[in-house]
This record gives sequence, structure tokens and C-alpha cells, in this order.
Amino acid sequence: MNSINPKLACDLKKFGTFDFSSCYNCGQCTAVCSITGPDASFPRMFIRYGMLGLTEEIISSKDIWLCYACGDCSETCPRQASPGDLMAALRRFSMAKYEPTGLSAMIYKSNWFSLVFTLALAVFLGFFLLTIKPDIPVSRWLFNFVPFQIIHDLGMIAFIFMGITAFTGLINMYRKINRKEKIKLRLKNTLLTVKQVIAEVFSMKRYRSCDDDKFSYWQSKNLLVKPWFLHFSIMLGFLGLLTATVLDFILKDPALKTWWPSRILGTVSGLFLIYGTIITLIYRIGKVTPAYSQTRMADWLFLIFLLLAGITGFWLELAVFTDAASTLNNLVLLVHTVLSMELVVLFAFSKFGHAFYRPLALFFHFYKNLEK
Amino acid sequence: MKKRIGVYVCHCGGNISDVVNVSEVVTAVKDMEGVAIAKNTLFACSDAAQNEIVNDITSLHLDALVIASCSPKLHLHTFRAVAERAGLNSYNYVQVNIREQCSWAHSYEKVSATGKAIQLVKSGIERVIFSRAMEPFSIPAEQSVMVLGAGIGGMRSAISLANVGLQVYLLEREFFIGGRTAQWGDLSAAYENGPEVVSRLFKQIREHANIHLFIGAELISQSGNIGSFEVKVKIKPRRISGDCDESGFNQAISICPVEVPDDFNFGLTSRKAIYQHYPSEYPAIPAIDDANCNFCGACESLCKSIDLNQKEEILNLKVGNIIVNTGFDPYEPTRGEFGYNEIERVLTLPQFKRLVDISGAGKLNFKGKQIHTITYIFCVGSRQGEEGENQYCSRYCCTTALNTAIIVKRKFADITNIHCTRGIRTYGKQELIYEESSRQGDIFLEFSFENMPVVEERNGKVFVRIKDILTANREMEAETDLVVLITGMVPRRNNNIAQMLKIPTGRDHFFNEIHAKLRPVETVIDGVLIAGTCQGPKNIMETLNSSMAAAAKSAASLSSGTIHLEPIVADVNTDQCTGCGICLTVCPFDAIVTAGPEDKPAVSIVISRCKGCGMCLPVCPEDAIELYGFTNEEMEGMIDGLTSY
Repeated sequence: MNSINPKLACDLKKFGTFDFSSCYNCGQCTAVCSITGPDASFPRMFIRYGMLGLTEEIISSKDIWLCYACGDCSETCPRQASPGDLMAALRRFSMAKYEPTGLSAMIYKSNWFSLVFTLALAVFLGFFLLTIKPDIPVSRWLFNFVPFQIIHDLGMIAFIFMGITAFTGLINMYRKINRKEKIKLRLKNTLLTVKQVIAEVFSMKRYRSCDDDKFSYWQSKNLLVKPWFLHFSIMLGFLGLLTATVLDFILKDPALKTWWPSRILGTVSGLFLIYGTIITLIYRIGKVTPAYSQTRMADWLFLIFLLLAGITGFWLELAVFTDAASTLNNLVLLVHTVLSMELVVLFAFSKFGHAFYRPLALFFHFYKNLEK
Repeated sequence: MKKRIGVYVCHCGGNISDVVNVSEVVTAVKDMEGVAIAKNTLFACSDAAQNEIVNDITSLHLDALVIASCSPKLHLHTFRAVAERAGLNSYNYVQVNIREQCSWAHSYEKVSATGKAIQLVKSGIERVIFSRAMEPFSIPAEQSVMVLGAGIGGMRSAISLANVGLQVYLLEREFFIGGRTAQWGDLSAAYENGPEVVSRLFKQIREHANIHLFIGAELISQSGNIGSFEVKVKIKPRRISGDCDESGFNQAISICPVEVPDDFNFGLTSRKAIYQHYPSEYPAIPAIDDANCNFCGACESLCKSIDLNQKEEILNLKVGNIIVNTGFDPYEPTRGEFGYNEIERVLTLPQFKRLVDISGAGKLNFKGKQIHTITYIFCVGSRQGEEGENQYCSRYCCTTALNTAIIVKRKFADITNIHCTRGIRTYGKQELIYEESSRQGDIFLEFSFENMPVVEERNGKVFVRIKDILTANREMEAETDLVVLITGMVPRRNNNIAQMLKIPTGRDHFFNEIHAKLRPVETVIDGVLIAGTCQGPKNIMETLNSSMAAAAKSAASLSSGTIHLEPIVADVNTDQCTGCGICLTVCPFDAIVTAGPEDKPAVSIVISRCKGCGMCLPVCPEDAIELYGFTNEEMEGMIDGLTSY
């Protein structure tokens, strides 16, 4: 039997939900949602879980990840209880619960902590990067102060630690959800489901259905400005840049060869990334729909980091044609690398985490459907 | 015998004529004996048709009138007025209902409907032939009213009546006025508390020369009828005669050796046998409660105005009307109902309201423990289903519970409210209270009648288990510091007013009005009105609405100095009556009395009490009783009309 825990509602508010206590259970949110199902019943049921403090129900649920935060529910809500924000807060809450260190919880709950931690990490990563070039004057000065080996080892430990944490988070999520869904993995079904998940990730079919829903603000808007497309651009841009970077690394000689496939991929991906992040930032600043009106520090940082990483990337691409070794260009390189590393290091603790939590939830969703 | 009868058959637009062939009906009756004129009319109730009927009556010298149209409920008085305007006695008018009782009921059998309409109209004609002209009775009206119960409803009635110049005798059974409202603490949507509202009314009452307030007073007998009820009132001894300096009373209270649970606080605290509920209470002197006092005399020596030998008094009063406003009792849960009386952390709503009221702001403590989580279980003793005693909704409880939850959260630190409801009914403007409670973070769960919550105590902790409809019927449990049972209203216990005044009660034991919508404060006993929660669950505003309605109704009936009564009453043929008295046993209104000389006993009818129900007629072995307006001749005529072909 579940125990009612009235304190959870207060805790959830710190994860960025509005005042959902005014909900009177009419269920309009569920009625307008284009992707909820007869066996899911979100967002309404999750407002209940939130109010009553049924933590186990929340963190063992795949359903919160099936929502793409279109915000129709918040717009329809007759009590301004913002169910859409609650769903987002529940995702943050669950990520914090899966991740074992408690760092995510602090990042999500406190904007100040989020900012200070990110900046501190940037400084540390900057130092860490200097270990790669121990000969330049700044490095020499620094290593007089703190031994080279300590920074280098700490950096490596941090990377390994973050990797393990992220992995543990995924395992935790799998175990929690499976306690409820109770799926038995079979090779054939697993492969079929993975295929479905990949198809979903690259087609964004479910997200698209949110934007094309007849209640949606975006329904009649141009494809290029629809949220799913922006999300798609950012995701493709990031993946493209990641691939290009890896290819560059393998090919060892990134410079000047403009027509290499890896360079073309990098350029195109970068443009997509910058486009997606800029428009999304504009939406968030302008609060075009309820879905964009509640932005946490973690959201800002994530988007700004992506944008800056993209812009500095292009700067560097142009810099190789000019004076690649100038101090300014070196500084930009440092910033670019620090930003990219932060994105990777904070993967499990930031908004970025949804990139593997959501596919895992989709995996459960499709697997269950297959089992039926 | 009427010989010049006018008959009008109404189309009622098409309501009647679409089914009943109206002209066929006219043709069938126009040649009947005594019928002077028979017509059909499109709308008998229209101005034009009314004028036409008036003209016909005067120009053709008609002596009786039959209109076949809708139900008498709708237009009896309209057409009686038509007759009056034409100089015809209104009791020489008979209405035949061929709409509700014919065309609407038989819309698919047009031919037989017309046949039935013909028989109905014939029977109306046969009845009106024997009709007699009658005039309403007039009886003198005593210019005074007795109001039973000095709660806020009774007080409000008293003030309204006194303001129109009537003498008011306001009776309160307890030693202090204010009833339930005085116990109620903060009121919803009023920014005032119960005692404040009570003292406001009391000040007006004290200043009003027309209001005579009797405290500790009970009605013990009643006779008479509207306009002149003779009532006997017993005044219990308060055993305190005058004023005493305050310290004298305080000493008397502290020396009293008897300590009993305090009803005013629903047993949460105790009081002495000499007591006062709260310092500003009216009347501002204590009382001694005979049921618990052991007459030791210790207090008498401390205060000279205490007089243990004070005797009870009997008053005889004569009043024109009686308004009953005796209020309600909170439902008392049975032992073990949601843990009541078994788990000490289970309280009723009235107890909890008292607890909130007498606790200082800051921390809410109960039985030595600070209270953080309060779980409210709604509809306790109300809406008990088809099998249960109380099927009704008590109306005030949802609002009061949520209002209290708001007050608790405002007054005390760190409180969480969990409401287990069966659907919230904060109707009307009170919805805002639900809104506020919901917005302050109160948790709402909903259970069904089939799955009642369970209250349990385990290892000194109290748990409420509930199957929540709003969460897919999931069963869950809340640990709680206090359980509050939201108890409804039940009629006052040991209230013999109903028997004494012959007020009918419903299945729910509340007093019944004549008509729930059209005559909501009158009872079948003329001159006895009901108001407030003795009639059924009401909130304070509704109580005052009905109290003022009763006052207005009462003042209207008495103000002219005479009271007009329907002449449809029973009449005894004293030659035939043997005085056997069987009719006395069946009369529900005590309207028959024995009379006549000893050698020739007979009964007679008190016309001011007779309601013309006709119960006495069939039981009379001598057939010595007639009912005006429904005489044997008239009834037999109707039967003849119905059976003639």
C-alpha cells in the first residue's frame, strides 16, 4: 500500500513546477493530450501522484518521458495548475532520483548552485586542458602552484566518476521502471524494439504528433519554426558535430581540407545546431507558449552552452584560414573545448540527461506494446 | 339546485384540442339539464375570454360556472376571481381538469380521450348543480407571536416581528442564548465569529420593548388555534436572582465541587455545576444546572444573589402565531464509527471547531502532542445511502470543514490538511472557500459509499486508509495526528415540540413544511410556522432567510386583526350525531370537540382548526358529518356524471 506524503509537493516545487495544488481533477489535461493513452492517463494521474506524494509511482513510471512538453494541457487547465510544468518537474525529479550522487538534485533545485557549479567546473576543466599543453606560460605558472599530476589525475577521476554515475543512473531507471512494467528481455523483441526506438528518435513521430494536434498553437505554423523541428535540429546538429569531431580525430588532420566529408558534415550540423538553439532561446525569452514560459537555470545553461559551442566551433573553422595560433584564437579554442567537455561531463546531471532517459522509456513503451 | 350553468371548454392553444375534440365535448353537454350556455374557447385564461365569461354571467344571469381546462393548481384562483367579478359566488365555480388528467395523459388515444373529457365535464356539471355559495370564515387575531428558540434564527424572527409592532415572546430552553452559532467560532465568509454575531442580535433584542425574552423556558402545553393559541410556559429556576460582583461569581464557580464535561465544548473541557460558557456570554450571569448540582450550598455563602431555593415558574400566554426555530444537534457518531470514542485522536467537526477556537495561535496541541497533519473524513452521518438513517446531505458541512481547514492553517504553524470527501459540495458563493483551501495546498481524496475509509491506531500512530477514486481507486494510507469526522445535522434530541404542536415530521425526523417550494415556512397547522434547522439542514444565511420569511408570513397573517379561513370545513348534523366520538380519534388536527347537553351528546367542529381533509366523514356510523364544498349531493352528482352515457 502507498503512503501519502504531503511533503513531496513542496519538494517538487523546488524542481520547477508551478502551483499544481489548485488542480481539482477535472481531467481536461488528459483529454487534450495527443499522446496519452488509456493505460497511461497523464498528466492528470501524475498530478495526483505529486499531490499525494507517491514517490515510487513517479520514479517507476515510463509515462513521464512520453510527454514532449507541448504545453497544451497547461493552456487548457481551468485552474492554472500547469500540468505541463509538473510533468517537466517530475522528469527532473526522477533524473535526480536515478542519479546516485545527489548532484542533479542540487543543480535542479538551486539556480545559484547550478551557475556556480558550472563555472567552477569550467575553471577546473580549463586547468585540466592546460595539462595537455604544459609548456605555455600560463601552464607553467599554474603548475608551480598546484602539481601537474594532481590536476591531471583529478580530471581523469572526474571523467570516470561522471561516466559511472551516468551509467548507474540508467541502470537505476531501468530497475525502477521494470519493477512496475515487468518486461522479460528476449533477443528478438529487444532488437525489434531498439529499431523502433531509433526510428522514433530520428523521425520524432510522437513529438510531431504533439505539434500537429488540432489543439496545438503550432498546428498551422511553418515546419521550420515548430518545436519538434527545432529539437530535431539541435539533436541532429549535436550528433553531427560529435561524429565530425570523432572523424577529425581519426583522420588526424582537420585543417584546411574544406571538402572532406567530415568537414561538410561538421559545417551543416553546426548550422542546424545554431539555428535550433537560437530559435529555442528566442521562444524561451519571449515565452511564446506556456511550455516555454518556465525556464530553469539548468535549461538556460544547456541551451547557451550548445549555442556557444556552435559559435566558437565556427570561429575556429574560420580561424584555421587566418592566424590559427593567435592568442585570441587559442582562447576561443579553450572556451570551445571547455564548453564541449562540460556538456559531456554534465551529461547525466543536466537537462542533457533526457537524451538517454527518454529513449530508455520509449524502449519500455514499445516493448510493452510488442508484448501485447 | 343550479339551473343556469355556463360551461366553457378550453383548447389551451393545442394542448387540449390537439387530442380532445373540443367542439364534440361542447355538443355533448350543451343540452344537459341546467346548462344555459356551453362554449369552447382558445384560451380561457386570456383577458378576452375572461371578459367574455364575465359578460355571459351577467347578461345571461348564470348561477354557476364550469370551466374545463387545466389543473386547478394553475388557474382555480383565476377563475374564482372571474366569478367574483361577475357577482357570482366563487364557490359556485367548478374547474374540470381535461389537460393533465386527459389530453396530456392520453395523447395517443384521441377518440377515447374525447369520450373521457365528456364524462369529466358532465361530472363537473353534476357537481356544480349542488354547489352552495360560501364565504371565508373570519376570526380575530391576537397581536402577538411566540418564537421558540433564541438561536440566531429565532432572534432574527423576533426582531423582525417586533419591528412591525407585534408583541414577541422569545423562549430559550437553555440558560444562555445564541444556540449553535454561539459555539461556532469563526464563521465562513463573514469575518466575524459566532459570539459576535449573537451579541449583535442580543443587543437589539434587549433594547426592543416589544420583545419579551424568557431564558430557561420551555413550552409545556398548547391549545387553541391560529389567532389565539393558549400556551403554558415553564421557566426553570436559574437559581441566580440578580447581579453579583464578578469576583463573587468567580469564587462561587471555583468553590463548586461538581465537575462535569462541558457540553458547550462538546466534552473537550469540563465545567462546574454553576457555570458560564464564555465571559461575554448573554445573559452575563452564570446559571446553576440542576441536573448536576448537589445543592451543597457552598456557593450560596459567597454570593448573595445565588438562591438555591428559587422555584420554577409557570406562565400562561396567548399568542396569534407560533414560530418554531429549535435548531439541530450535530450527528453523534456511533462508538467505533471511524474510530470515534475508541481512538482518542478522532474528533467530530463541532469538537474540532471548539478546539481551534479555544487554542491560542502558534502551535496546535491536542492531548499533549503538536498537531501537524489533520485528516478530515466527510459525510459522516449524512448521505448514508438507501439503507441508512440519514439519507440527506447536511449542506453546511463541506463549507464549514474547508473554512475550518483554512482557519487552522492560518492560525497554527506547520499544518497539512488532508480531506477525504465524497465529492465537494461548497455550492454557490461558497465555492470560493473550496478554491482557497485547494490553493493553499490542501490535499483532496475521494471515496465512494461502498469503500469507506478506515481509521486505525498502530503503535500509537493513527492511520487513515482510503481507496481514492481520483487516483484510479488505488488504496493508500495517510499517517495523521488528528482525524476530524465531518458530522452533519440531525434533528434535536428530546424535542417534544412536534407532538405538542402536531407538526408533521419527515422520514428524516426534521419538521415538514406544507410545500417545499411554494410554502416553505408554513406547516399544515395554521399559525404554526417553522424556520431554521429544525426543518432540515441549513447554513446560517439560509437559517436567517427562513426565519425572516416566517416572521413576514406571520406578520402578514396577523396584521389585519382578523384571519380569513377557507370555508371548506366539516359540519356536524347534531340531530343525527350520537356523540360516539369515533371521529375524534381520526381527526389529525384536534378540530373536533364533544359538545351538546348530557342527555343528547354530540360533537362539534372547531372551524379555525379544521383543514377540510374529510377524514371524519367515512368513519361516522351515522353519516352525520358533511364537508362543505364536497357534500354528499355533490359527490354523488359527480359519480352520476362520470357513469352516465
